[in-house]
Amino acid sequence: MSDLFDLPFEDDEPEPEPERAPTPVASRRVLTVTELTVRVRDLLESEFFEIWVEGELSNCRLWNTGHLYFTLKDSASQIRGVIFRSALRYLKFKPADGLRVVARGRVSVYEPKGEYQLVCEHLEPQGLGALQLAFDQLKKRLQDEGLFDASRKRPLPALPRKIGIVTSLDGAAIRDIIKVLRRRYANAHLVVCPARVQGEDAAPDVARALRQIARVPGVDVIIVGRGGGSIEDLWAFNEEIVARAIARSPVPVVSAVGHETDVTIADFVADVRAPTPSAAAELVVARKDEFCGRIDRLEDRLRAAARARVQRLSRRVHMLGGRPAIAGYAGRLAMKGRHAAELTHALARIGRAQLAMRDRRVQQLRRQLETFDLGRRLAGVRTRLVSGRGQLERAMTARRHRAESQFRSCATRLEAMSPLAVLGRGYAVAWNADRTHVLRDAAEVKPGDTVRVTLSRGEIETKVSRTE
Amino acid sequence: MTDTIKDFEAAIAELESIVKKLEEGDLPLEQSLVLYERGVQLSRFCHARLEEAERRIEILGERGDLKPAPASFAAGDEPERG
Repeated sequence: MSDLFDLPFEDDEPEPEPERAPTPVASRRVLTVTELTVRVRDLLESEFFEIWVEGELSNCRLWNTGHLYFTLKDSASQIRGVIFRSALRYLKFKPADGLRVVARGRVSVYEPKGEYQLVCEHLEPQGLGALQLAFDQLKKRLQDEGLFDASRKRPLPALPRKIGIVTSLDGAAIRDIIKVLRRRYANAHLVVCPARVQGEDAAPDVARALRQIARVPGVDVIIVGRGGGSIEDLWAFNEEIVARAIARSPVPVVSAVGHETDVTIADFVADVRAPTPSAAAELVVARKDEFCGRIDRLEDRLRAAARARVQRLSRRVHMLGGRPAIAGYAGRLAMKGRHAAELTHALARIGRAQLAMRDRRVQQLRRQLETFDLGRRLAGVRTRLVSGRGQLERAMTARRHRAESQFRSCATRLEAMSPLAVLGRGYAVAWNADRTHVLRDAAEVKPGDTVRVTLSRGEIETKVSRTE
Repeated sequence: MTDTIKDFEAAIAELESIVKKLEEGDLPLEQSLVLYERGVQLSRFCHARLEEAERRIEILGERGDLKPAPASFAAGDEPERG
């Protein structure tokens, strides 16, 4: 091209066109500017009515009218372009300076300025897919706003009163969730707010449902999601309007979109991301199981602590019975005996209370068993209850045995503390000669004194030969 | 006595503190027994709350009205199984 301009005559003054002079004035066709412009426009529009053109975006400017103006350029040339609001709406990504795109559209002329421009119907980013780009852009924007911050994440309620679910009634997600709850026999109260989860209007509908369900009294956790599908199917969960609705939810939100490998913007904003709808249900129910376990463990500890208390008391009884110094005194023995009897009584009371409690629990389970409509329950529940009852009965029997043997050993120990029984274990009581006084100190007698000794069977009269 | 239990979380917290007291304290027998009884009552309350019978599924309508889900739906029937 440029060598054309380099031709020598180019520098010369333009010569009057020779053929023009003879043209008669009447045949001259003079166009108005507008007429020319319209003809140029018609020419361009008929020639370039559906073209694809590739280039880099620059000077992107969004006008108040909602139309986006830009320049599309390559290393040597550029063309002005516009994409009207009606078409801009359908772009998944935001056109930005520096992006390489392929534009589809037609060439037209902006008559007021005599400028030709590319009127785009559609833009497609090159390299990354449009969806991926849109995803990255929104993710970055929301992240910069702090919507994904860990500090924003709220804990799920310990025991949800009502579980709100935003999804399609026809989809797999709701069935998966119900299936999980059924399998686990979780008696959850679900409130489902149906929403379109696919298609053009899905995102605003999901956002609407999120707002609506949060207003239902008692709903204290929300699961939002849908079953698996293509990235286009899941797209609603990558839209800003859904992300913002999740962020604004007054109660914690669990996102559950597609399969494990599908990660959406909703997942980043949600308080908890579940890989699938089933997993979301399990997350909510798992906490319940966790509590069951926790209470069972507390119950065990409660019993163990009470048992330990009883054992400490019974050790004390044992200790008292075994002290020879005390064993020698009939009077004090009697007193200790009373104390021991009190302890034994207390032991019996604890034993009775525990047995009664076990009994009540068994009765309660039995009642539950009877009131259940067994036909409608699955075998698993029945098995669980029956085996629970078996366990309780076994535990109760074992406890009864233990309590009985405790009482027996207490009784034995009490018996051992009667003076006669102490003598039976080989102890003896030493008296003065008149048997009026029990000897406690060797100094009370001197060699030659008479001492009487009471044994388990019979008595001995003896003389002191030496004191120490 | 049960009506002195505020809610599930409070019950668990109280149960935990009772167990701790019983485990570490050398309390008088009478007091141990009282605590033990209370503990059993609390754990029973917790279990009851966990087992609260109703399994309900409701559908939220466009105008914010709640209606029970159709029986087939609530039963988790799987049409695709056929």
